[in-house]
Amino acid sequence: MCGGLRAGGGGNDVQWCFSQVKGAIDDDVAEADIISTVEFNHSGELLATGDKGGRVVIFQQETENKSQPQCRSEYNVYSTFQSHEPEFDYLKSLEIEEKINKIRWLPQKNAAQFLLSTNDKTIKLWKISERDKRPEGYNLKEEDGRYRDAATITTLRVPVFRPMDLMVEASPRRVFANGHTYHINSISVNSDNETYLSADDLRINLWHLEITDRSFNVVDIKPANMEELTEVITAAEFHPHQCNTFVYSSSKGTIRLCDMRASALCDKHSKLFEEPEDPSNRSFFSEIISSISDVKFSHNGRYMMTRDYLSVKIWDLNMENRPVETYQVHEYLRSKLCSLYENDCIFDKFECCWNGNDSVVMTGSYNNFFRMLDRSQRRDVTLEASRESCKPRQVLKPRRVCAGGKRKKDEISVDSLDFNKKILHTAWHPQENIIAVATTNNLYIFQEKVN
Amino acid sequence: MDVEAKRIMALSISKLYSLRTQRGGLKLHRSLLLSMTMRAARDIYHTAQLLRDAEEEQVVPCAPDAAPEEPMEISKDSPQTLTPKEVAMKPQEPKETLEEDKENRCASERHSRKRRGKTALETDFLPLKKAKMETDEEKQHLQGEVLRTNNGNSCRQAETLTAFPTNRTIVAC
Repeated sequence: MCGGLRAGGGGNDVQWCFSQVKGAIDDDVAEADIISTVEFNHSGELLATGDKGGRVVIFQQETENKSQPQCRSEYNVYSTFQSHEPEFDYLKSLEIEEKINKIRWLPQKNAAQFLLSTNDKTIKLWKISERDKRPEGYNLKEEDGRYRDAATITTLRVPVFRPMDLMVEASPRRVFANGHTYHINSISVNSDNETYLSADDLRINLWHLEITDRSFNVVDIKPANMEELTEVITAAEFHPHQCNTFVYSSSKGTIRLCDMRASALCDKHSKLFEEPEDPSNRSFFSEIISSISDVKFSHNGRYMMTRDYLSVKIWDLNMENRPVETYQVHEYLRSKLCSLYENDCIFDKFECCWNGNDSVVMTGSYNNFFRMLDRSQRRDVTLEASRESCKPRQVLKPRRVCAGGKRKKDEISVDSLDFNKKILHTAWHPQENIIAVATTNNLYIFQEKVN
Repeated sequence: MDVEAKRIMALSISKLYSLRTQRGGLKLHRSLLLSMTMRAARDIYHTAQLLRDAEEEQVVPCAPDAAPEEPMEISKDSPQTLTPKEVAMKPQEPKETLEEDKENRCASERHSRKRRGKTALETDFLPLKKAKMETDEEKQHLQGEVLRTNNGNSCRQAETLTAFPTNRTIVAC
């Protein structure tokens, strides 16, 4: 049975074209350059990436000629800074990786932009601001900074602001440290714009953006006896509109919705979303593949999406016993789970994202494939982020994977898939059909084909 | 089926080992999943073993008691050789768990008098080479960078093959 259901074609289908690719071309990937997170800001004008080396790179969309529909707005580097450095915990004799696990933007309040970035242990609030003027005409200093000889100063003048080349500065405004014993996997900004949550394997903390020396623990699933541990927290997110509601997913494939009004410690969930396991699919690896790697609310706040190893599920917040939609991402891998366990790919944590109007969801796969799942039209398509399809405005051709039997032309067999090339991180522009897809060390930007 | 289970058990153990020296500290999620998979495989394997022994007992006539004693003891230890060493995960409580191990072992000896055919299971379960992707060359390179390793300096290395508790999850630091 070959993969790829009714893909492409039809009047309403979006066709995706290559727009840009960022990052080094060579195949020899430096560990530090591996992209670990991708996130658009709320307007979509800025696109941030984090990498294993602890750096954040922000791209900005060019705003020229927006009135012309043919014009493709490009993203260019806006700011680059070192967010986290490797650290050493002397008490536990452990190295703390500088890898950026997540970036989340704050809604813009003034001219400056703010984002939260986190590694395994420490969250930082960064301010990104522009400087395009500088004061000139000091009395005591020359323009290059050297002090003038006081004896030569005979007049006084008022320094004035003169335009200068745009400089983008990133400065750390807050450092939220020592809140987590285990590895942070998620951060989520609350809709109240004052608080945010951070989640590690066993605990979720609530922080105030202004207060760094303490946080409030809202979920704690650490058992009294660690030997009884059966599940960990894998992701968490605040509801987009209800500032009292958040969800967290577990390694057992369950999602819990918590209401902070109910009690101070939200160990007891308000809702538990769980689908009974299909007994015919039981294997040694059932536990691993049911572990949820990402959870995302829809923009309208009525649904949430979860990603486990083989599928994407859409849940209605009002229905706990099963998802309303299930999409197979790469079902052809189910028979290969043992090999994927051997090469550790079965532990890969794929993310997922919604488009602006919640009609399409996207997630990554192997061989630099990514999947677009159209909820309204019940179609799905597999596309590839590849250097071979990098001509400007080149339309992406749908890809097909053949699971077994006779391979058709243009299909790729499961055994030919490159499991080193995985797309774990993807992001969708909040308003437009522009997507950012991260391969190992490259960021691809695709846009909707405009006729 | 039990051949597969045995392979998965060995794989899981070697992965649990390599987790300990990975950069960034022990990953709780990964070690939990690994130990769950290892336990599932171990249960299947043991069930298969018991069934096979039951068959063998019917086939082989009764042997003198002295002879099977030795293989029984070795092979009773062998199930415990296959499970992850929890002592390494909880460096602050090694003595407790070792003592508990002894209790467990005694209990199992008391209850199970079945003969087990194979005696050389220990070496059987050690993976001869790690079945991993090329990317793990990087991992091993990184392992070399970590300050604390077990290479020859920790007494735990010697213990690892013989003192595995069977029913413990891996504990985070």
